[in-house]
Amino acid sequence: MVAIIKTEKLTKSYGSHRGIVDVDLAVEQGEVFGFLGPNGAGKTTTIRVLLDLIRPTNGKAYVFGIDTTVDPVAIHRRVGYLPGEFTLYDRLTGGETLEYFANLRGGVDPAYQASLVERFDLDPSRKFKEYSKGNKQKVGLVAALQHKPELLVLDEPTAGLDPLVQETFFAVVREAVGEGRTVFLSSHVLSEAEKACDRVGIIRDGRLVMVDRVDALRDLAAHQVELRFTGLVPADEFGALPGVSDVVAEDHVLRMHVAGSIDPVIKAAARFELADFVSREPSLEETFLAQYGRESGEVADHGR
Amino acid sequence: MAVELGRAPFTSTHRRLSLRSRLYGLGTVYAKTMRDSRRSVLIAAALMGGLMLVVGAAIPTVYPTQAARDEMAKLATDLGAVAQGIAGKPVNVATMGGYVQWKYGPVFLFVAGLWSILALSSTLAGEARNGSLEFVVTSPMRRRRIALEKVAAHLSVMTIALAIMAFAAWLAGAAFGTLPGDAVPVQAALGYALWVGLLALAFGGLAFTLAPFLGRSAAAGIAGFILFAGWILNGYAALVPAFAVPADLTPWAWTANHLPLAGQYDWVSLVPVAILAVVLLVAGIEGFARRDLGAASSIRTPGLPAATHGLSGPVARAFGERLPTALAWGLGIGVFGLVMAAASRSLADEFAKSPDLQTTFRSVFPGFDISTAGGFLQLLVQLEFIVAGFAAATLVAGWASDETSGRLEMLLATPLARRSWAVSGGIGADLAVAAMTVVLAVAVGIGALMAGSDAVTPMAGSITLGLYAAALVGVGVAVGGFFRTSIAAEVVTLVVTATYLIDLMAPALRLPDWVHQLALTAHFGQPMVGQWDVGGIVACLVLAAGGLAVGGWGMRRRDVAR
Repeated sequence: MVAIIKTEKLTKSYGSHRGIVDVDLAVEQGEVFGFLGPNGAGKTTTIRVLLDLIRPTNGKAYVFGIDTTVDPVAIHRRVGYLPGEFTLYDRLTGGETLEYFANLRGGVDPAYQASLVERFDLDPSRKFKEYSKGNKQKVGLVAALQHKPELLVLDEPTAGLDPLVQETFFAVVREAVGEGRTVFLSSHVLSEAEKACDRVGIIRDGRLVMVDRVDALRDLAAHQVELRFTGLVPADEFGALPGVSDVVAEDHVLRMHVAGSIDPVIKAAARFELADFVSREPSLEETFLAQYGRESGEVADHGR
Repeated sequence: MAVELGRAPFTSTHRRLSLRSRLYGLGTVYAKTMRDSRRSVLIAAALMGGLMLVVGAAIPTVYPTQAARDEMAKLATDLGAVAQGIAGKPVNVATMGGYVQWKYGPVFLFVAGLWSILALSSTLAGEARNGSLEFVVTSPMRRRRIALEKVAAHLSVMTIALAIMAFAAWLAGAAFGTLPGDAVPVQAALGYALWVGLLALAFGGLAFTLAPFLGRSAAAGIAGFILFAGWILNGYAALVPAFAVPADLTPWAWTANHLPLAGQYDWVSLVPVAILAVVLLVAGIEGFARRDLGAASSIRTPGLPAATHGLSGPVARAFGERLPTALAWGLGIGVFGLVMAAASRSLADEFAKSPDLQTTFRSVFPGFDISTAGGFLQLLVQLEFIVAGFAAATLVAGWASDETSGRLEMLLATPLARRSWAVSGGIGADLAVAAMTVVLAVAVGIGALMAGSDAVTPMAGSITLGLYAAALVGVGVAVGGFFRTSIAAEVVTLVVTATYLIDLMAPALRLPDWVHQLALTAHFGQPMVGQWDVGGIVACLVLAAGGLAVGGWGMRRRDVAR
């Protein structure tokens, strides 16, 4: 696979303040990569380095194989970018704003631009300063999408959008990926990443702590298992099984967390008369929070 | 949980503020506004206090003997009504206080008035627009209380700055006075500060009242226009009878006989100004309390046609974005230029009757012949350099707003290189300067035609204002590109102020010629009479083009700010 984005020990410091530290990342062509982390973790700093808005203190970043500090314009020609926070020209209408960005880029199909405006339900005749937060976000999204870029870099793209428009946005993202384009999506809304992304990376305190496929990442977190027996069972037997933790016995019910394979638990339960069995798959959010509970900052990358 | 409607579940009768909150101005709206004003109060106090001391120190140097003072006073009196458009009423001009009142009396009001206009127009309307006020308004405080605390804070910082200015006036008389009558009594210093403060609050109050309805910019523009127009109308009412009626409607005319630094008091005249200020401030508070928050403009202001918005590329966009500001400056300077040019011949004739006065003016503006219409207009251009400079500063601020507002991130994510952005924006600002220059030059030309003079020479001479502004745009782009855009306009303002003071004060203080030569405006010759200095033009072009090149180069090597 072709790495559209690649970073090597990418570091950015703001004087004595931490930005990002030794970030090694690879995003492949045609995938939706979710970049997750809470506020201040370093998501936006990474994006700004990728687009050469700021320069790395150490390390390298490549987009389309081009060093970001060497020929950023060549990168920008093929990128669509939506910043997390932005403002545009107050006196221009939404339509004029889109026209201006289309002129800056060139090669925008007016029909496609119009279709995006229609799908996002944007009124292009109003001045930018008169738009609500959500409508401003729509202008930014159309400006980022209208030239059908090979790489979409979207920082918190659904902020301010209503659920219907969010659905439209995800549909457009799916179409882009279907055409072989790549999406790099930063978010702290985990359900959004879970819904849209093929792989996610988790950044914590400026360090990339985990990169994996969404489903594989989910497997890393413990399943919540509840076993209901017809009679009392020895809880200690289950607590000693590999991957089992936090066993709680309540009358005939055992509750526990199971990390990894659930097979030993099922085999142990089969030795007793089982009335009911419930296993809940962990959400990405639980995985995310579990990762944040870890002390180690080592990167685990399993998904390529 | 059951909630009892109509009654707060928890009541706090006493709010205890921490020492830290008190010290850092985070305890009340009043304290926070004071905290936010600390930089502006320092600048205003330094400007007014410093100018008072500099002028006070200069007078005994330029006019060291009683005979020289008497001669200067005689000239001021002989000049009569003609000079009132430039200076004020000549009362006790032979004393330090009288001279300051005559020659610089309005200058301090311009500083305080503009400060008050900008502060009061933005304290609520500006915060409402950017959303910060919503957090304050949704706290358990009535809107009237919030507005009142903000106004009270402005009154407090204005009082501090004016007290420093009054102290400087007293100190100048005590420290630099060399002749009888040079001492400035405390009563005179306070009387002058009170006049400055009340008029400044009246004009600031007008901006404060209009801001919730028209928005910050329009309110500040209208109040600022009335501040300057009132001064011109009042100054030339004696010469132009048509000016008399509108002039009488302004506080300038009401307080025309209150000249405290000259030892002439008219305390009663300050009462209607105080009432006007209070009425306007109360109206502003009520307007804020009753209207929708942030609904700034229900009155549609005319805009430029969409064709001027400039969507074809970065240069056109930068020009389109700066054009309304440039046209406003061009019209403002142009209207003043038109009036002066129309009156230039008759004013020059009056100056021609006083050879001694011409000699005095030559000590400040060497080589100027103000007995001719062209020479008089050249004097006008020298005074307008500072206005054109401030125009350039606003255009630089507009260029910088791409980065300071966060717009630049989206622009640079297109195939627009950093250097191209900086240079294109600079060229757009220069084109806006050109538009401003065309407007003001046409206005000056019309004025000259009305006076029956040659129009082409003063129109061509007006180009120097544009050249100077273009050079300053170059300085601003260089600073913004090389260091950061957030300081570019401030640096340009500093350069403009320093240049103006050097050009004006160096000859008067008989400082070495090389000091005077530091001012770019000293190198244009006298283009309003057809005498051009190529050196100044070349310097402007080099600064304009070189500044853009440096700015473009600088942008390549630094991070883009958020």
